[in-house]
Amino acid sequence: MTGISPQLVHTLSLLMILTSFAAVEARNLRHSTIAYLAQALLICGLLLAYATLNEALYYWAATALVTKAVLVPWFLWRATADAEQETKPLIGFGISAVLIIALLAVMYKFTHAHAGLFVNATGELAALAETNLAVAFTVFALGVYAILTRRDAIKTVIGLCLLENGVHLSLVSLAPTIKETALAGIATEVVVTVYLLLYIIGGIREKFGTTDTFKLSELRW
Amino acid sequence: MPVEAASILPALVVIVPTAAAVLIFLLGRFTTWLREVLGVLGAAGALALSLAVGHSTLRGTVLTSFNDQFRADSLSALLVVLVSGIGLLATVYSLRYMRHQVQEGGLPHTTTVGRLRAYYGWLMLFIATMLWVCVSNNIIMLYVAVEASTIASGLLVVFYWDRRALEAGYKYLMLLTVGITFSLFGCVLVYATGASILGGSKGLLLSELKGAAGMFPTTTVVLASAFLIVGFGTKAGIAPFHPWLPDAHAEAPTPVSALLSGVMLKVAIYALVRTVSMFYPSFAPVAMFALALGVFTLVIGDVMALAQDDLKRMLAYSSVSQMGYVLMGFGIGTQLGIYAGLFHLLNHALAKALLFLAAGAVMYSTGARTISQLGGLAKKMPVTSFCFFVGALAVAGVPPFNGFQSKLALFAAGAGAGDWWAVIIGIAASLITLVVLVKAAKAVFWGELSGPASGPAVREAPLTVSVTMAILAVLCLVIGIYPKAVYSPLRAAAAVVQTISTQSPGLAAEHGSAPAGSRSALRAAR
Repeated sequence: MTGISPQLVHTLSLLMILTSFAAVEARNLRHSTIAYLAQALLICGLLLAYATLNEALYYWAATALVTKAVLVPWFLWRATADAEQETKPLIGFGISAVLIIALLAVMYKFTHAHAGLFVNATGELAALAETNLAVAFTVFALGVYAILTRRDAIKTVIGLCLLENGVHLSLVSLAPTIKETALAGIATEVVVTVYLLLYIIGGIREKFGTTDTFKLSELRW
Repeated sequence: MPVEAASILPALVVIVPTAAAVLIFLLGRFTTWLREVLGVLGAAGALALSLAVGHSTLRGTVLTSFNDQFRADSLSALLVVLVSGIGLLATVYSLRYMRHQVQEGGLPHTTTVGRLRAYYGWLMLFIATMLWVCVSNNIIMLYVAVEASTIASGLLVVFYWDRRALEAGYKYLMLLTVGITFSLFGCVLVYATGASILGGSKGLLLSELKGAAGMFPTTTVVLASAFLIVGFGTKAGIAPFHPWLPDAHAEAPTPVSALLSGVMLKVAIYALVRTVSMFYPSFAPVAMFALALGVFTLVIGDVMALAQDDLKRMLAYSSVSQMGYVLMGFGIGTQLGIYAGLFHLLNHALAKALLFLAAGAVMYSTGARTISQLGGLAKKMPVTSFCFFVGALAVAGVPPFNGFQSKLALFAAGAGAGDWWAVIIGIAASLITLVVLVKAAKAVFWGELSGPASGPAVREAPLTVSVTMAILAVLCLVIGIYPKAVYSPLRAAAAVVQTISTQSPGLAAEHGSAPAGSRSALRAAR
């Protein structure tokens, strides 16, 4: 008996995909931020669910709450005060939706075929980790997708946050017994990076008059 | 067999420049000179400690601090001496250079004073985080340190806060963070698998993982290596993940460019080698992938460098190419290959830092950096001209300079391992490097004085600038003429890195062990 409720973990991880999708696809940057905030809360929930295995994860859940659910959304909210609407992305909603569903299917197939290689667990815990890994890989891939296909610099930062969430989810699923120091390091890093990127994007908006990355053309070769 | 000894030194190497940074941020507001003194002291302290670490490791001792979280072996020692040495030179170079930038109005006036304080503060943090990468023995903290060095240098890249700097800074932070997050995924996979074999927190320690890597399932090895190579490779400027590099290296203040090209790329490749080479004995195709990527990189970098008219961008692309050579050495995967890779890493660090500093001296005196606008500067700036030529010939691999020795070792290693195709491409690309760098040097320093170079105020760079360049130029010459001077630290550092198995398939069968896909086995299968 692991003490983890499988239904809860499955539901939370699947909701992660939905929130990622919303964060990538919402044209209003503030709606995206809210979707990201929802995802951060889901991660906190997942961490609490896993905390029965390792008490350090309570600490990690608290850190995630502060960094992912408070600080990062707050920074994003401030950065989108003047321009809520995203610059039109390269790929529209329809194609995006098809691509994302295909991506999820591939990741599911892959992780269920190979999870045994990474997951040192059996039974219930292994099944949970398989699902979590599929979700983690999908969220990660969605982050990369957002960075590659979105023109708005702030949207690429949201993509980056998704990327990080994917990796953090995989870390918790694969190695729930990890030490606090490593977790604190990772969590702090994300916040500082996001803050710095948004600070630079603020400068870009000031000098270029836009956050459209296609307009950044001072340096070509 | 090295002896392990608990010592505070590896941690102190990181703590001293960090403390200097904190003091600069706290006290630097009061006086101009204090932040400069603190910067030089921080960097000099780091160098003194690094030399002490190097001294111990050369005598066969591995130093560990804080429960093995920090660990300095011969490989770490080589890197920390390099980082702190070039760090100190860049800091000394900054003294006059950055003050001059302020006087010339190169910075937004309203924030000049605060920005110079931030400059030295972040410079110290940048050096400290790079040193942290080299002494971290915790695989997750290795990622944290690599990302921390990106953050610390990010604000230095956008220092001028103009359109070009901001664009470069955005690309720099975004691409590097994405890349490094890939490497975190790789680190997580290695840690999770390692923890299941070693049990508990031992799976975090690189020194322990090295022994367990042979038991990793092949799929994990392939996936983790791919993530690690893409991740750390992005930071090391490996093609096709290099587009951030020319922008950031060209737009950052020159002393920072010298650090970015001179040592940051090396620190990233160190992280790559430290993690990926643990799979070499059990899974040699990883090395083959690195070799192919290295050769691709050295070609791309050279071809792109040919097309540049901006002195700093040209040097930046040349760095891409030279990192290809370093990766080629590690990709060859034999003892000699790794030795040659490290040797070239050292030589390129010295020569490219020299070239950037010389380019900075040209910008200092003339205010220009476009190659086609400059000419005849050797008459007015003989020291800078001499130093630039030394750097150019060293990077191109011309005797009697240091780059020749390492490229020779590299090509010998390639030939020895039977990778002739890589050797031939490497030699051809070296010729392109020679053309690119000598052509630029000739255009800037020889011929008639023209354009901004002909101004009456143009003269040799100030003493602190010239001396730092001269030190690097002398090192390039000394190592080139007397390479034995660096043999023992390099050999000791190379011995730390695991090599691919060179057992023949027959021999392997006799011993009953089958090194999965050793280079010789791969060749026999073809």
